[in-house]
Amino acid sequence: MQIELKNIKPTYMSDAEISASDVYLRENVLFVKSEKYLIKANSGHGKTSILNFIYGSSTNFDGQINYNKITYENTFDLRKTKISYVFQDFKLFPNLTVFENIQLKNTLTNYKTDEEIDSLIKQVLLGHKKDSLVKKLSLGQKQRVAILRALCQPFEFLLLDEPFSHLDKENIKIISNIINQEIKKQNASLIMTSLGEAYFFDFDKVLNL
Amino acid sequence: MLLKLQKRTLVISQIIGYALTLLIGVTIILVTTQFFFDIKPLLFKQTNVFKSKSAIISKNISIFKTIDKEKIYFTNEEIIDLKNQPFIKNISNFNSATFKINAYSKKTDSVPAFYTDLFFESIPDKYIDVETDEWKWNNSLDFIPIIIPENYLNLYNFGFAESQGLPVLSKNTITQIEFNIQISGNHKSKDYKSKIVGFSNKVNSILVPEEFLSWANKEYGRINENKISRILIEFNNPTDKTILKYFNENNYSINKDKLEFSKLVFFFKAALIFVFIIAIIIIVLSVSFVLLSLNLILQKNKELLLNLYNIGYSYKRISKFYQVIISSITLISIITGLIISNLIRQYYLTKIVDLFDFTVTHNMTYMFGLLLIILLVLVYNMLLIRNIKKIVIP
Repeated sequence: MQIELKNIKPTYMSDAEISASDVYLRENVLFVKSEKYLIKANSGHGKTSILNFIYGSSTNFDGQINYNKITYENTFDLRKTKISYVFQDFKLFPNLTVFENIQLKNTLTNYKTDEEIDSLIKQVLLGHKKDSLVKKLSLGQKQRVAILRALCQPFEFLLLDEPFSHLDKENIKIISNIINQEIKKQNASLIMTSLGEAYFFDFDKVLNL
Repeated sequence: MLLKLQKRTLVISQIIGYALTLLIGVTIILVTTQFFFDIKPLLFKQTNVFKSKSAIISKNISIFKTIDKEKIYFTNEEIIDLKNQPFIKNISNFNSATFKINAYSKKTDSVPAFYTDLFFESIPDKYIDVETDEWKWNNSLDFIPIIIPENYLNLYNFGFAESQGLPVLSKNTITQIEFNIQISGNHKSKDYKSKIVGFSNKVNSILVPEEFLSWANKEYGRINENKISRILIEFNNPTDKTILKYFNENNYSINKDKLEFSKLVFFFKAALIFVFIIAIIIIVLSVSFVLLSLNLILQKNKELLLNLYNIGYSYKRISKFYQVIISSITLISIITGLIISNLIRQYYLTKIVDLFDFTVTHNMTYMFGLLLIILLVLVYNMLLIRNIKKIVIP
């Protein structure tokens, strides 16, 4: 699958605010299979917005987004098998445990076995928190759970919205390894937003918002 | 997981409240509706209980009418108007004797000597509630059969005889007593033998055969004096509520239990409709309450629902839990209501069957219950899916 952005602009931003962007108001921005993209910008420049537009959870934009040259009115059907998203605010369920939160997503497609999920939890150093309620975790722990959950489905694009903002270098290294393996396995693309340069992945293209 | 997550969003007390109010409303509505259909034959069809379809009307006597007696008579216009009423099948006049009548007897062992003035009236035979072979008149036989109201006998036995120390008389005794009647007018008179041949519960007058009275009025009566103060009416449907309204508006009085029964039916129906409306209100309130409660639950958990949608759960899948819960509770409440209403029905049917000659009507509660289940479940499911869709896809 490839994703094509045509003259995209958030409705709440003026043309002047986004004049220097590589993404907004560009005639044709293409995200293709098996490539890694970094979208860079300072706070308030619409990093989360662009991922929400691609994921379809926000439609507050002018312009057009095509998925394999098709414009969807509702991208919901792409969420199970085509696009996975690590939200900046995690969107976890505080009253479920770490395992249950991941399983909630996994039951939609049964993509991973319980053992694989267990192993992933252990790899991100949360084995001891597997049965703890998410509301009792730190932000960094929640961020790791959110990333693992996003990996528990088939996808062709993985969207990461500032995924390491609450993690230390050691955890970033572990997580980026897991993500890399999964992307490779699924032959998928990655679109990540960040405040500055990110060295954890070999990006094919860096775009300034 | 989804179940565990969504279970936590429910407020059990609100669900119990809904189940109970729906149960009460459904039970009342099923009982009143079925009760109405069960007793409908008793109220509207002519069974043995209320078979009479006729009544006697007269004008109400007020202080002015005691002064001006003419006002107690029906005018021709009034009689025509009566005939034209849709609820009236037929009307007949009371014929009054316009000649002088005396009853007398010589003293015998069983009857003391008496002499009294009398009056006679007649109505068509078909309206007389006494069956006797002696109710006939023939000019060649000098005999006049008489029917008196049963009330007169009661008045004598329990009032007059009691206070005057006279013997009480049975119906049988009275019908054995023969006495004489003298009628006079137009300068002539004639004596007849007479006997009381029956007692009427329906007509409050001293009746003689119509044939006799017509003949006697011609022979002995004053000309043009036959004024009508009482009319016998046959109804199409004595329970028609316009009857009472019409008579009240025209200030006519009805001396018949039938119209009392009509009043009773009116009040009974009004009471039943009142209870039915209350039950409808209870059901509407319980349905509104649960819809409001569900909406509050959905609004309170808006973020949770949105997150579920965002990670890939469709609005239909999210709605399913709430649909199953509300449909099951509605089903349980209505089925319990059906069981209770049928138990109540069994109880009142045994009582009614004991009292009346009564055929049990078809049980309609199951049909009503089923319709209510289908209606409510459809409404809930449609609204739930619509509301959840509105939340997750703004």
